[in-house]
Amino acid sequence: MLWYKAWLETRSRFLASLATLTLFSAIFVHHAQGLLRPEWKSDFNRLLFINQQFLVIMWVLAVVLLGMGGLIPEKSVGTSSFTLALPVSRARLLGVRVGMGVLEAIVLAVVPWLAVFLVVSLARNRISIIQVVSYILLLVGGGTVYFAMAVLISSLVAGEYAAPAVAYGIVLLTAMLFDAWLVRLTCGDW
Amino acid sequence: MTNDNVIVTQALRKFYGTMEAVRGLHLTVGRNRITAFLGRNGAGKSTTIKMLLGMERPSAGTGTVLGKQITDPEENRELRRRVAYVAEDKPLYGYMTVEQTIRFVRSFYCDWRADIEKRLLQDYELPLHRKVNTLSKGMRTKLSLLLAFARCPELMIVDEPSEGLDPVAIEHLLQALVARSAEGVSVFFSSHQIAEVERVADQVCILEKGRLLVDASMDELRQFYRRIDLVFSSLPPECEFQISGVERIQTSGRQMCVFASSNADAVIQRAHEWNAVSVEVAPVGLREIFLKTVEGN
Repeated sequence: MLWYKAWLETRSRFLASLATLTLFSAIFVHHAQGLLRPEWKSDFNRLLFINQQFLVIMWVLAVVLLGMGGLIPEKSVGTSSFTLALPVSRARLLGVRVGMGVLEAIVLAVVPWLAVFLVVSLARNRISIIQVVSYILLLVGGGTVYFAMAVLISSLVAGEYAAPAVAYGIVLLTAMLFDAWLVRLTCGDW
Repeated sequence: MTNDNVIVTQALRKFYGTMEAVRGLHLTVGRNRITAFLGRNGAGKSTTIKMLLGMERPSAGTGTVLGKQITDPEENRELRRRVAYVAEDKPLYGYMTVEQTIRFVRSFYCDWRADIEKRLLQDYELPLHRKVNTLSKGMRTKLSLLLAFARCPELMIVDEPSEGLDPVAIEHLLQALVARSAEGVSVFFSSHQIAEVERVADQVCILEKGRLLVDASMDELRQFYRRIDLVFSSLPPECEFQISGVERIQTSGRQMCVFASSNADAVIQRAHEWNAVSVEVAPVGLREIFLKTVEGN
């Protein structure tokens, strides 16, 4: 039943994120591929790459939101004593929360790309399954770091809004640092 | 710990920063009894309960509940399986419905009684499909009580159980506590409603500023605590009455009021020795014992 609790706690955030990511990907790819000529094969791949860029941003924002929760936020809303009175170890409480978050994060990575796959197939364009799987693995593999960071922050920072604010601040900071590093790398100064 | 005690603490202490919430608490709660835990706001009652249930780690000292060490995470998890707890603020997940909450809590305990759950749902008239965050304070209290009473635990720890309840519900609650005690369940409850405590408690513990000031059975309190009103023909010698068992002395002109936890006969004899004009001895209710005890400290 702890899984059920974790699901109830995150389902609105998860479903809203899933709907946003899926609809965005499907509509973006559907609309953009209509503008391409059939012979522009490299541009079609570039289109999928751009979609992945947008997805990465939205996915990271969504998983940071999914990582929020746990005993510290429960303490601020006054329900932590109810949770802690249950005959369950704190490790299990954390484990279930992380497990549910990771599962939801994987679904958030898979479903939008399935929608893209469907849209592209319906338009009779060719799409490489390996390319889609690579994008999904990149999302989950790299993005889970942000999820772990969100779990850590929500376990350290009290306050319903303070923890997401700090987490998003760190996401922004890392993005800026990564961007600067990329620029220096491509300019050959590194 | 002996089998006669369900809760034993030794020199239990809790610091929050430099503030000492619980100061070397030696507490013993007997089996199959209703033990009331009284104290002002901030006296350390809830902190003590949280330490007993492993929600707060003691800064020092040790304790056992049902023979399990409270500071050992595994043993504490095991004791929580055998204890029913109703927290002070009746915390419940606002996003769950009443039905979901019951289903959720039920899944953790093998001592759940579906028949009691059904009866209490009817008695409390709880709306199964309403979300907890839309319930009134009284309804939330009833739901919290249902979650505790629908089980057959060895020990019930109940923090402010009557908060938000109407008089009829309070009456039912008190009867339920007595019935549970008669079935062999030990009850440890904190309350500010002293009249309720006086009706149902077998044992009373009074906590003030983290220290246990009174730990006595209701019978002992009734038998030994006395208020002795004295009138003298001249200004009374207060220091002459500071004898063993005298907790508090209030003097106003030629009148003196002595509050004694024992040894009332010695006070009366001393009053006669000092030629008291009037000596009136009255038994003291729990309310007065509580007030005199905490105000005296």
